[in-house]
Amino acid sequence: MRVTLKLSNLYLVILAGFTLNLYGCVNVEPWERGTLAKSQMALDVYPLQSSIRAHNYNSRETGASTAAGQGGGCGCN
Amino acid sequence: MAATKKDIKKSETSSLHALTKAALLLPGLLSGPVHAAEGDEVEFQYGHYQEGNRSVYGMAADPNTGNFNMMGLPTGIKPITVDSIHGSAKTSITNRLKFAFNYLQDTWGGATPIASAPAAFFSVQPKLDAATGTTVVGASPFLQPNRNYWISGRALVDAKGNPLMANMAPDYSSLVFQQNNQVTDILVSASPEVRHQGDVKFAYEFDQATLNMGGGISSERDYESRFGNIGGLWNFNQKRTTVNLGLSYTNSDTSAVLAHDSFSYIDSSYYQNNGQISSKPSQGGANILQGNRQDWGSTLGLSQVINKDALVSADISYTRSTGYLANPYKAVSVLFVDPSVNDPNSPNYIALPEGAQAGYVYSLSERRPELRNQWGLGGRYVQFISPLDAALHFDYHYSTDDWAIQSHAFESDWVQPLGNNWTVTPRVRYYSQSAANFYTPWLITQQAYTNTVYGPDGITTTSYDRSKLPSSFSSDGRLAAFGTLSGGLIVSKKFAKGLTIETGVEYYTHKASLGMSGDNSNTFNNFDSWNVNAALKLNLDSLSLHPGANTTHAGHDHQDHAVHAPAGVMYDHMLPKAGDFMVGYRYMWGSQSGDTLQGTHAVPDSTLVGNGCGPNPCYIRTASMSMNMHMLDLMYAPTDWLTLMLMPQFVSMNMTMNALDGAPDSSEQEMISHHVQSGHQTGGVGDVGMYGLFKLFDNGMHHIHFTAGFSAPTGNVGLQLNTNHGITGGYIDYGMQLGSGTWDFKPSLTYTGKWQQFSWGAQSSGTVRMQNQNRSGYALGDLYQATAWGSYSVTNWLSGSIRGLYTSQEAINGQYNGLINQYGPADYTNNYGGKYWDVGFGMSAMVPSGDFAGNRVSVEWLQPVQDNVNGYQLQRDGTLSATWGLAF
Repeated sequence: MRVTLKLSNLYLVILAGFTLNLYGCVNVEPWERGTLAKSQMALDVYPLQSSIRAHNYNSRETGASTAAGQGGGCGCN
Repeated sequence: MAATKKDIKKSETSSLHALTKAALLLPGLLSGPVHAAEGDEVEFQYGHYQEGNRSVYGMAADPNTGNFNMMGLPTGIKPITVDSIHGSAKTSITNRLKFAFNYLQDTWGGATPIASAPAAFFSVQPKLDAATGTTVVGASPFLQPNRNYWISGRALVDAKGNPLMANMAPDYSSLVFQQNNQVTDILVSASPEVRHQGDVKFAYEFDQATLNMGGGISSERDYESRFGNIGGLWNFNQKRTTVNLGLSYTNSDTSAVLAHDSFSYIDSSYYQNNGQISSKPSQGGANILQGNRQDWGSTLGLSQVINKDALVSADISYTRSTGYLANPYKAVSVLFVDPSVNDPNSPNYIALPEGAQAGYVYSLSERRPELRNQWGLGGRYVQFISPLDAALHFDYHYSTDDWAIQSHAFESDWVQPLGNNWTVTPRVRYYSQSAANFYTPWLITQQAYTNTVYGPDGITTTSYDRSKLPSSFSSDGRLAAFGTLSGGLIVSKKFAKGLTIETGVEYYTHKASLGMSGDNSNTFNNFDSWNVNAALKLNLDSLSLHPGANTTHAGHDHQDHAVHAPAGVMYDHMLPKAGDFMVGYRYMWGSQSGDTLQGTHAVPDSTLVGNGCGPNPCYIRTASMSMNMHMLDLMYAPTDWLTLMLMPQFVSMNMTMNALDGAPDSSEQEMISHHVQSGHQTGGVGDVGMYGLFKLFDNGMHHIHFTAGFSAPTGNVGLQLNTNHGITGGYIDYGMQLGSGTWDFKPSLTYTGKWQQFSWGAQSSGTVRMQNQNRSGYALGDLYQATAWGSYSVTNWLSGSIRGLYTSQEAINGQYNGLINQYGPADYTNNYGGKYWDVGFGMSAMVPSGDFAGNRVSVEWLQPVQDNVNGYQLQRDGTLSATWGLAF
């Protein structure tokens, strides 16, 4: 638990730094977001591909995902 | 997108003009950096996962000297393959309320590691193949004691715990010991199994936020999982910043049948003492290991637009898992060093090198801590590469838990749009993890497995002291230290009318040496795998079926043109005109249970025992059989008089068996009990149908078309049961294979008619096997069907139908060209086929207008009226058919 507590502190520092950094971001007005609206700029361009791969990774790796609540079965084999 | 780009360029000259344009043309951009659901969508996906062979090692005896050599052994068992299908639908209930539904089905089969052990502990006797003169070594190492006769079947380690190989010196004067640290997997093959999952999600969209809630269930024979999640997404800072929060809960029950076969070799006494193992009379007295686990998960994420060409996101997650977190099928090999065997005064004493220890190896069910806290941290960066119109994605994910597993995953994708709506995305991923602190390829304990004491009260035998073992131990390779490297390609093509086809391929390699931790305790567990998938996405919003948008669209003439038959009738309609598409989905569920029939009459067990299995006695009968079939129905009309149709199928089947009263004793009684206890499951890709529908006559009231087509043998007909009790499983019965295995010709003639609220039709169809036998040595019987129906439209959107159906099918020709254990009527080819009468009751609804205009949903129940079966067969309960179709 000592390790995880330390790490969670680290995450808070990173998140705080990240949030502060937002104010340094360029002000992108809505009409300047044509590029960001392109399909290749989506955070997840291929959700179907991501979910099938995540299912494969989860059945072979222990750290691939921490997202519970999505189903996925035993993966016992 | 090209037009969009131009519009954006204009925006630099007139921002007000551009703002208006963008708002009109790019509704997506106002939903913030995280793209919102693109509206109503239907998706189908098929995926295939194939693992490569895993290496196993053992000590093989030289037929001449009798001495053992370390060598790689052929496993002779197929590696794991998984076939999966995924269907989903997203729809808007209101402008703000969205609903999504997912259905997934996985079928897997093949060999899997259940434990590992030093290869020096496994000695196998090679067999000489008389035909070829070569040496064939038996299957994978078994979960049983060493067979090295020089040391009376013991396992040896040196003072430091290194495994020792034992051989006889060339002059047979003494034993020679040699250290060998090679560890091997112990593989076990499994009969096919199927998992089904259904889940739903509701999302409510506010102006600056979205709330969502979902849940579902995943069910397989030995594991059931129920899950729910709730989450929210908030946009800030003029949608430049998005925060999302998610909370989830999963409750899972393990109920694993411990196969007789491994039950006698795996010591699961810990779980027995813990009250987790019980014998289930309903499953033929099988021993069931039960456990429950709960997982709570939470995620906090943030995404931020950095500039007009880049965005970034980060998330932190925490998962707490409690309960039975172990895997019921995994075991750990434990060397019990027996002090009495190492005693020079014992009659079994062998002179060993200084400090060496001898003992016996046993396999113990793995044990894991009952609590796991896992933290994750992830980041993602997306950068637009302007000269190439491409996007570079970079992802990193870190996790750590209180089992001491730390992982790093790096992924990079290059999304490159090409002309004509093609997009190509090469991607590469690297993953590394450290080992769990209780991972061990095998264990040594300084105590005998059992101690026998000769006391004044007689002989008392005590078991080993569990407190001398670690409280948790597992040899599951997924808890070891390793690295993986994978790369792949995604190709997608967007067609007009909102149809997108997407395909992905990935090669994945898993090696201990790829890991970042430098821990090489798991080098024996290396493997590689392939994954390919294809998906079809239909954006319903882009189909412009909305009447407000276009009142003259073809979607509206459906009511006038197509006369749709009840759901159970295939090839019933053509597309009205050249250039039309239709995407449909067909589902069929068939069930059999109840009495076993001979001809038309039920027969008692005694008749089956004596007559059901030809010259042999029957031991079991089929108690129930169910089949699920998912079909994709893709139609395209190149001309007015021809419609082409492609129909891929995905099937799964489930069968249970009863022991027959009065059956004689069999030397294979344990295998027969295993059939009754475990049932059978199969599933995977079925046969693919390809058809041409030719219009012969159409005057608006009467319509006749002829269909000619073929069914390609894509369904597996070589499925076998796993080996049990040392008895080879052999082929599963004919009815459980996934296809016909032969190329089949499928002609049919269809007549439909309509007048006012009435419509009617008739169809005659056949299936002719074009080959005498498939690759497994048999051919299903030819099939002939005739059907006629009438239907009445109650309103302009709802109709009801009634139908009669006659089916005649011949028995199976030929038989399996390999082993089949014939225990029941279903294992004999003459107990297939027959003549059947059914009556069908159906309903059909078509949305005439509104957002879902053109969607058609039909269901039909086929009720058996008479079965006249060939030989002895289980009676039918009926068949449910459901179809959904959308023409555009």
